[in-house]
Amino acid sequence: MAVTDNEVKNKVESTQKAPQDTQNAKPELPNTKEGRLVKELLEKAPYAEGSVRREKRIEFRVPAERIHEFLEIASEKFEMLMQISVVDWLKEGEFELVYQLWSVSESVHAFVKTRISRENAKMPTVMDIWPVAETYEREAHEFFGIIFEGNPRLGPFILEPREYEKHPLRKDFNTLSYVKTIYGEDFDRYDESKTNYVI
Amino acid sequence: MSLEVPRELREEARKHDMYLTPIAKDTYELFFGPQHMATENFSIILKMDGNRVEKAIVNPGFLHRGFEKLAEQRPYFTNIALLLRICVPESDVPENIYSMAVDEIVGWEVPERAIWIRTVVLEMARVSSWMFWIMGFGNEIGLYTAGQWAAAYRERLMRLFEELTGGRVYHIYTVPGGVRRDIPGDKWLRQLRDTVEYIKSKLKDFDEILFDNYITFERTEGVGVMDKRFALKHAVTGPNLRAVGVPYDVRKDDPYYLYPELDFEVPVLKEGDSLARVLVRRYELEQDLYILEQLLDMGPPSGPYMVQDPKLKNLPRFKVPAGDAYAHVESTKGDFGAYVVSDGSHKPYRVHVRGPSQSHGVTVLEELLKGARLADVPVILKTLDNCPPDIDR
Repeated sequence: MAVTDNEVKNKVESTQKAPQDTQNAKPELPNTKEGRLVKELLEKAPYAEGSVRREKRIEFRVPAERIHEFLEIASEKFEMLMQISVVDWLKEGEFELVYQLWSVSESVHAFVKTRISRENAKMPTVMDIWPVAETYEREAHEFFGIIFEGNPRLGPFILEPREYEKHPLRKDFNTLSYVKTIYGEDFDRYDESKTNYVI
Repeated sequence: MSLEVPRELREEARKHDMYLTPIAKDTYELFFGPQHMATENFSIILKMDGNRVEKAIVNPGFLHRGFEKLAEQRPYFTNIALLLRICVPESDVPENIYSMAVDEIVGWEVPERAIWIRTVVLEMARVSSWMFWIMGFGNEIGLYTAGQWAAAYRERLMRLFEELTGGRVYHIYTVPGGVRRDIPGDKWLRQLRDTVEYIKSKLKDFDEILFDNYITFERTEGVGVMDKRFALKHAVTGPNLRAVGVPYDVRKDDPYYLYPELDFEVPVLKEGDSLARVLVRRYELEQDLYILEQLLDMGPPSGPYMVQDPKLKNLPRFKVPAGDAYAHVESTKGDFGAYVVSDGSHKPYRVHVRGPSQSHGVTVLEELLKGARLADVPVILKTLDNCPPDIDR
């Protein structure tokens, strides 16, 4: 009787645990090249979230404090850093940094996404992992005002010195008012009825 | 480095009441570009010691027109006319990456005919861009004849483009969901085949005058060498990466359009110097002509050239579901990618273009120029095939 009781208890426990497990567990990874790659990386970096988006596209979400650590692990598989894309989510008050990685050996593209606050945006540089990050970080610094700690060449890069520290790709940068401050009222481009501004 | 003045010259100068003294160290700062022909709207500040470059500082920004900011303020379809200006010699590449990314976010299956046309247009753009590159490179090393020939052959492709799209340089042809117009007719296909055969027959002449010429060898061999590890760490792509022995080609490794069905080779050389980069480009030109022949043998599939979606009837208010996508194609300069983010409105939330020159035009160029002779600076620039609008956007 005791055995059967235990069995019943086990069953009850398993049935109770089962839904919790599916809630806590990450979505199942497909048994493909991409799925195995995500699994391998997540074992080394359990703090990250990973998923397979489609064939040859995988995605990771990493907390901003551990991004350098994660990218160092990822750089063993992903030889090239293609780009650092910054998206300004104004309503959430956050910058999203997307590190676009490409693996030559596995031919898979990975998005490594992280979010930081718009106020005093600071990130560690990844120049020590990929020296090419210097250029991408200079661009992101100039257009968005993110400070990459450890990058020695942050400063005017593409824009003119007078445009530096205006961060034109931020969503709250008003192109029209900036043009008016630079060119004054001479830059008057209204239509014939003087009601609509023509761009 | 000190420059000794010959004794005879000194004596002769003294007769005319002039005194020549040796210079202790001959260092100076040289502004190379943006009006220099080799740099194309781009400048490098060279810290020179005599004839050698001590340090190079890349100074881009002359072509910054704020396309990414403008793209956030315009509806999806009008952005094509804007973004294609990012890559001047092959303007079809930015059109295609943007369209591919938008297609992926919307979830459209682009019709077969449109895919065939897009592949042909991309390959035509590649051949036309090789011609443009031969023109620049021939001029850099003083073989002007090859450059003039290439400009003339490029004209043939530009006429074909004009008939197909209405534009010579900027085509505004590939749009999300397909292409803007159908092929003009069978006559255009015959003309394209004639052009491909014509350029193929002229490859022999290019070999004689440019690629198999000892002047090219003397000028490029052992100049601007990079190794495999350096190239991968600096995200060098395209022919420059294949010249160091990495067989990475987006058309093979992340196939798009009709490329999985086509038969072509990825030329790889191991030396990593300027000569290897020149020769890889020469082999790729041949492969591209071969691909165009195969596509013409295949013939355009029948069907619509634009996706059939009722949402497209109200184009200015056409809304794209929220999401993001990254698409990339193989251009003659390297891996050209675009990251498009949509928030569900009728304008893209963010468009970010990854130009290949962002990697090989800034840090790599600065490294390779260290210790180079002044006369080699244009050679390194042109064999890397730097395209400044990629960096500035």
